[in-house]
Amino acid sequence: MTADISTPTVESIGAWLTERVAEYVDAPKESIASDVPFGEYGLDSVAAFTVCTDIEDHLGLVLEPTVLWDHPTIDALSAFLVGELNTAR
Amino acid sequence: MTGAARVADLERRLGDPFDPANPLSFAEILAADERGEMFAAGERALDEFGLGAEFVPSADGGRLTRLDHLVELMRSVYRRDPCLGLGYGASSLIAGVNVWTAGGSAQRGRVADLLLSGRKVACAFHELAHGNDMAGADFAATPDGDHLVLRGRKEVITNVQRADAVVVFARTGDRPGSRSHSLVLLDKAELPGDALSYLPRFRTVGMRGVQLGGLVVDGARIGRDAVLGAEGGALETAMRALQITRTTLVAMSTGLLDTGLRVTLRHTANRTLYGRRAVDIPHLRSVLTGAFADLLTAEAFATVATRALHVLPGQTSVYAPAVKYGVAKLVLDAVHQLSVVMGARFYLRDGAHGIFQKLVRDVKPVGFGHIGRPVCQSTILPQLPALARRAWLSGDGAPAVLFDLGADLPPLSFDALALSAGGRDPLASSLLAAAEGADPQVRALAGPFAARLRDLAARCAGLAPRDLAMTAPNRSYDLVEAYVTVLTATACLQLWRHNRTDAFLGDPAWLSAALTRLSRQPGGPVPLLPEPVEARLFDELSQRLADNRGFGIANRPFATGTTKEKSA
Repeated sequence: MTADISTPTVESIGAWLTERVAEYVDAPKESIASDVPFGEYGLDSVAAFTVCTDIEDHLGLVLEPTVLWDHPTIDALSAFLVGELNTAR
Repeated sequence: MTGAARVADLERRLGDPFDPANPLSFAEILAADERGEMFAAGERALDEFGLGAEFVPSADGGRLTRLDHLVELMRSVYRRDPCLGLGYGASSLIAGVNVWTAGGSAQRGRVADLLLSGRKVACAFHELAHGNDMAGADFAATPDGDHLVLRGRKEVITNVQRADAVVVFARTGDRPGSRSHSLVLLDKAELPGDALSYLPRFRTVGMRGVQLGGLVVDGARIGRDAVLGAEGGALETAMRALQITRTTLVAMSTGLLDTGLRVTLRHTANRTLYGRRAVDIPHLRSVLTGAFADLLTAEAFATVATRALHVLPGQTSVYAPAVKYGVAKLVLDAVHQLSVVMGARFYLRDGAHGIFQKLVRDVKPVGFGHIGRPVCQSTILPQLPALARRAWLSGDGAPAVLFDLGADLPPLSFDALALSAGGRDPLASSLLAAAEGADPQVRALAGPFAARLRDLAARCAGLAPRDLAMTAPNRSYDLVEAYVTVLTATACLQLWRHNRTDAFLGDPAWLSAALTRLSRQPGGPVPLLPEPVEARLFDELSQRLADNRGFGIANRPFATGTTKEKSA
C-alpha cells in the first residue's frame, strides 16, 4: 500500500519516503527512523540518485541528484521537498 | 601546433620501437621492465616533448583543448610502454582533472606550473581497506581553526613519493554519508620534510616499472585553504571529474592492443608451420582479423564516449563506466586471444617477441585500475530504469557532432559534468532513430540491436530497488552487459554513418565485422565473420602492417627510423 501524497506535508511525504527507503534497503518500513541518516541503512551515494529519480517522477519535480546527500534523513528531506513543492505551485 | 601535428611530432620523437638501433626500442623498454624501473630514456623523451602540458587546460597555460587528441597522443605512449603511459602520464592527469574541476585559481596555477615544468602530481584516493568504496575512506584531514590536521594512510598510489603535490581524498567530517570527505591539495613544499613518510613500493605482476607506493601522515598540519572546492565536496568532485579519466584512460589502452596485434602479425608472417606460413592458416587468420575488428570496435566506442565528454557532459556519468566496462573487456579478451596465437612465444621474456609477455601483464590493470569493472556495472545499474522509462524508446537522435570525426568539438567544460544522466541517453536513443529512419541499409544494420534495446527497455523499466543495489542478483548485471553491448554497437553504426566519405570507415566491412562480433549471445561462441568481410579486413590489416600505420580508427602513420637525428 502506497502512502497518500495528494496533500504534500512533511508527514505525508515522510511516510512515502519511509516506504521508498525501506524498499531500497530491503527492510521493514517500521525499522526506518526518520531522523537517522540514510547511509546508516546502507543506502549508498549512488543509490541516492535512484531515489532522487523516483522522487522526481512521483512529485513532478526536477531535483539535483545530490538532494539526498544534502538532506540525509527522512525528516530533513521531507521538509526540503515540501518547500520545493510550495515554490513550484 | 595543432593536436594532429603534436601527435605526429611525438611519434617522430619516439621513433620506431621495433628498430633495435632506436634508443627507445622495445629491447630497451623490456630491459627497464626486467629491472623494475621506469624507462628513463623514455621519460626524458617525454620531458623534452613536454607531455605534462597536455594535461593542463589551455585556460591554465597548457595544451589541453580536446580530449580525443590527448587520447591519440597517449596511444603513442601506451603502444610502446604502458608503464610510461600510466607512470609518466595518466596518474598526473587523474590528479589534474580534480583540480581543474574544483580548484581555485591559486591551486590551479600551482598544479599547472608543476605539470608544465615536467613535475608529477599524484592522486591519493585509494586505501586498501576500502577499495573502490571512496565514501568509506578513513584518511582524516580534521579541521582545526585555520588548519587541517592530517592523519592516516593511502596505499597503492602511483608516483606518491616522487610527486611534488598530492591530491588526497580525506575525511573532514564524522557523519556517515556523502558530504563528509574533501579533496585536499597536499603541496609538499609547504610541509616540513619529516611530515610525510612513505611505505615500501608495492610489487606488482605487470606495470613493474610504475612507482606504486603509499603515504603515511601522523598529525601534520596544513592550511585549511588546501581544500579543493567546498569542504565536503570530495565525492561530488571525484564522481564528476573522474568521468574524464575513466573514459580516456581505457581509450588510451588500445595502443597496447595495437602492439599486441602487430607483434603477433610479425610473428605469424615469419613463421612456417605444417609447410605453410602461420598467417595462412585459416583459424589463425580469423583470430587476427577478429582482434583487428575488436580493436576498431573498442576505439569506435571510446571515440564516441570521449567526444561525449565535450558534447554531452550531462550524460557521461553513464557513458564513462560503460566505456570502461566494455572497452576494457574488448582489449583484455583480444590480448588473450592473441596470446593463444603466439603459443609458447607469449611466455618467453627475451628475443624479438619478448615485449608480448610484458603487454600480457601490463594489460591486466585495464580491468581493475582506477575503477574496477564490477564497480562500473554497479554504477550503471541504478540508472537503467530511468533511462529505460524516459529515453530509450523516445527515438530522439544524438547531435551529429558526436560522431562526425571532421566536426569541431565544443570546448571541454568541467562544470558541465553531472553526477547523474537524469534519464537522458542520446546515444542509445539514436539507435531507434536509425532503425526507424529512411535508409534501408542503416535500418537493416540497426534492426537487431534496436530489438535488443526494446527488449532491454521492457526488462529495465520495472526493476525493483533490490534489483539495483550493490547486492543485486546476477540477472541485473546481465542487463548492464546487454546495455553496454547496445551502446557499443550504436557507436560503431553511427561512426560509420557519419563518416561515409572516409575510404575505410565509410566502407561497411568493418561495421559488419563489429556488429557480427557484438551479436554474440551471452556465453555463446563468437560468430564467424562472413568470408568477404574477413577477406577485406585481413587485406586492410596486412596493408596497414606493411605501411606501418596504426590499426585503430585514426589509421595514422607510425614512426619509422630512430630518434638519433633529434640529438644531432
